[in-house]
Amino acid sequence: MVLLRFTLSEEGVNALRDALACLNKFSDEVSLEAKRDKLVFTALNSSKSAYAAFSFATNRFFSKYQYEGVAQNREKFFCKLYNRALLSLFRARTGDSLHDPEKGGSVIERCDVAIEDEAGRKSRFMVKIACRNGMTTKYRLPFEVSPPVHAKFDKDEAIHSWCISSKTLRQLMDHFGPGIEYLDIHSDEDATVNLTCFTEKVASGDEVLKKPLHTSIAVEKDEFDSFDVSEDKLHIVVSVKDFRAITNHAVFLGSDVSAQYSIPSRPMQIRYDGDGVKCEFLLMTVGERGAPGQRTRNNRTGERPAPRAQQLESAASRATSKAPTPAPRPTPATRREPMPSLRPIAHRQSQRPPPATLDDDSLFVQQDDDYQWEPVKMNEGEDEEEEGYARLEWDASDRPNPSAIKMSSVIAYQATQRNGPGPVHNEEQDQLMSYLDPTQRLSQARQFGLFYD
Amino acid sequence: MESSIRSGSPQPPLFKAIASSTRQIYQLLKCISFTAKVHVQITQDGIRFAADHSRVMQGVAFLDKELFTTYTLNLAENEDGALPQFQVNLAAFLEALQIFGASDLAAKQAKAEAEPYRSNLRNYRPDAFSHQTLGVPGTCCLLYEEDGSPLSIIMEETGVKTRCNMVTYTPEQPDDIPFARDDLAFKIIMHSKWLLDSLSELAPMSPTKMTISASPDAPFLALSSSGALGSASVDFTSGRDLLDTFTIETKWSQSFKFDLVKSATEAMRVASKVSFRGDGQGVLSLQFMVEVEGGTTSFLDFRFVPYIAQDDDDDDDDDEMDSDESRGEFS
Repeated sequence: MVLLRFTLSEEGVNALRDALACLNKFSDEVSLEAKRDKLVFTALNSSKSAYAAFSFATNRFFSKYQYEGVAQNREKFFCKLYNRALLSLFRARTGDSLHDPEKGGSVIERCDVAIEDEAGRKSRFMVKIACRNGMTTKYRLPFEVSPPVHAKFDKDEAIHSWCISSKTLRQLMDHFGPGIEYLDIHSDEDATVNLTCFTEKVASGDEVLKKPLHTSIAVEKDEFDSFDVSEDKLHIVVSVKDFRAITNHAVFLGSDVSAQYSIPSRPMQIRYDGDGVKCEFLLMTVGERGAPGQRTRNNRTGERPAPRAQQLESAASRATSKAPTPAPRPTPATRREPMPSLRPIAHRQSQRPPPATLDDDSLFVQQDDDYQWEPVKMNEGEDEEEEGYARLEWDASDRPNPSAIKMSSVIAYQATQRNGPGPVHNEEQDQLMSYLDPTQRLSQARQFGLFYD
Repeated sequence: MESSIRSGSPQPPLFKAIASSTRQIYQLLKCISFTAKVHVQITQDGIRFAADHSRVMQGVAFLDKELFTTYTLNLAENEDGALPQFQVNLAAFLEALQIFGASDLAAKQAKAEAEPYRSNLRNYRPDAFSHQTLGVPGTCCLLYEEDGSPLSIIMEETGVKTRCNMVTYTPEQPDDIPFARDDLAFKIIMHSKWLLDSLSELAPMSPTKMTISASPDAPFLALSSSGALGSASVDFTSGRDLLDTFTIETKWSQSFKFDLVKSATEAMRVASKVSFRGDGQGVLSLQFMVEVEGGTTSFLDFRFVPYIAQDDDDDDDDDEMDSDESRGEFS
């Protein structure tokens, strides 16, 4: 059964290729999510520090779009595909100007894509590309049906923002050579914004330029369409590789790029729109606030372990005080409802879902009934907005949230029990455990060595 | 003559040919550079270079004597009148031909652009004073003194003379892959670019095997493959006019190793037309017509032995069925 079919013009293929090429800079795999009104491609990098999403409006971007849906889930369909395969089949084909001069630049006449998924038959992502010269190519790619992981961004907290033309930004980025890792953006009191690129890698061997290399560009604030950063000496540092992937793509669309962020160690959102396509990126930031004398990277490396310790502490203290924990209620009913927006919800309360470290597995919640997990909800009203979706959150390092329910809290609890004076009271432990609704199968938890026979 | 002066022997060499440019020779021989050694046979009409890959693929480049300004073969010196034949290392031969830098500018450029910060000298750019730009004539002389002697390549350019002596090996005399011209299953003549395009459509799926089928009705000619990343197929259903000549006896479908067919892509790139034939036994013949500078045409001949038919049954029938299905889905 064909779940989804759409048709792209040659311009559509080119735009899709640009988006996929950009996503490829983040991850090898791309998640596709199809709904009646939009088709979304997302990627999350392996260290979970950068997230990219391209949302195509189906009525504007596609020449034809037909979404059938599946029996289990009428509203949306999602799958994961290997990006390199997609890129190679949507690649730019060279025109044959020799034999057909008037159509030299145009090769693809139309591109039909159909997704087929049915029990008992091969599930395939099928692409048919018809060239103007009459050759027809058909591809059938396998895919994996697994829900996409979306990163969330709290707009209310992101008080700093700026907006700049993509072309200007690209020109600025061109000044930085290869081999750099970080970009530091900070504004002075006067009317300039400093962009500093640096690396911490020290290369040896036959490299021509000895690193670390440090390049700084001072840009007049007038170059920005708007620049609204109230905090002085705020150094916000992002990965250059990710940032460059974004600026390179933004130039294709030629629109203005806007960035929003709050403080270092909170995500930065970068977004821009094209014709029928919305692009949104979340980048993890590091950096420092206020201390002008200190060098960024010295501070940065020292800063890392702090949030973890803090978190462990808070979890442990909660465990011992036995504060009533707002238990997550499994609400499978809401799971079936549509997810109207992939975008972070515009009007959120400043309360945040549980803090989490980047390497914490408990962040990733599969959309699977077996697990009986519901992400912790702060606001009832938002339940519909985020039902059933795996969300990725970055660590709110400086504001621990006591409502965190995570494996790490249990680990921390057990650690205090083991290290603390006196033997472990099973009763007490049982009591604590009864507060926690099951989040995992016992068999899965056992492999972490948490339970002793 | 220089050779007679050098060796001090009065008798003329067995074979001597002089070309004013090495470009065409290089271009043609590069197309068959998929093996280390090639079999060389010198005839009165030209030099035949044959490369053989495990007896399943064969590539032949024939350098017509028209490519040379002087071409002398003194068979009288030979007792039994047999044509001289030997093997040489093709990579070394190609290296010798471009010793004056008639090398791949494109390769050089790609290397320079990969590392833009290494140097700001754009030394791959055509130099205003290079010999190619100025049109300074250079000559290339191929010299084979006698049976068993080394093959000499003497390159001369603006007073600089280089002599490369290539070791010649005893010929193995491999038989040609038999191709029954009188038992043709189909014959297609088309622009070699279309064949190149078709292969580049299949290549991204990194297939090991490809199936070529020709049929009297649509899709006429179809190439399909399936690899680790998925399956792909190219057909000419609505591209019938891309096939300049299309004669077919019966439906023909055979599988070949993709990498072998891919090693003929250099030939597809330089050639203008390809004659695409299959015989009753399933052997595929690709004959490329290369129009070299100066209006002469040269031919490159490739032959491929198919996989045995039983092998196809599992995968390829499945693939064929798949592609039929997908046609149904899209129509």
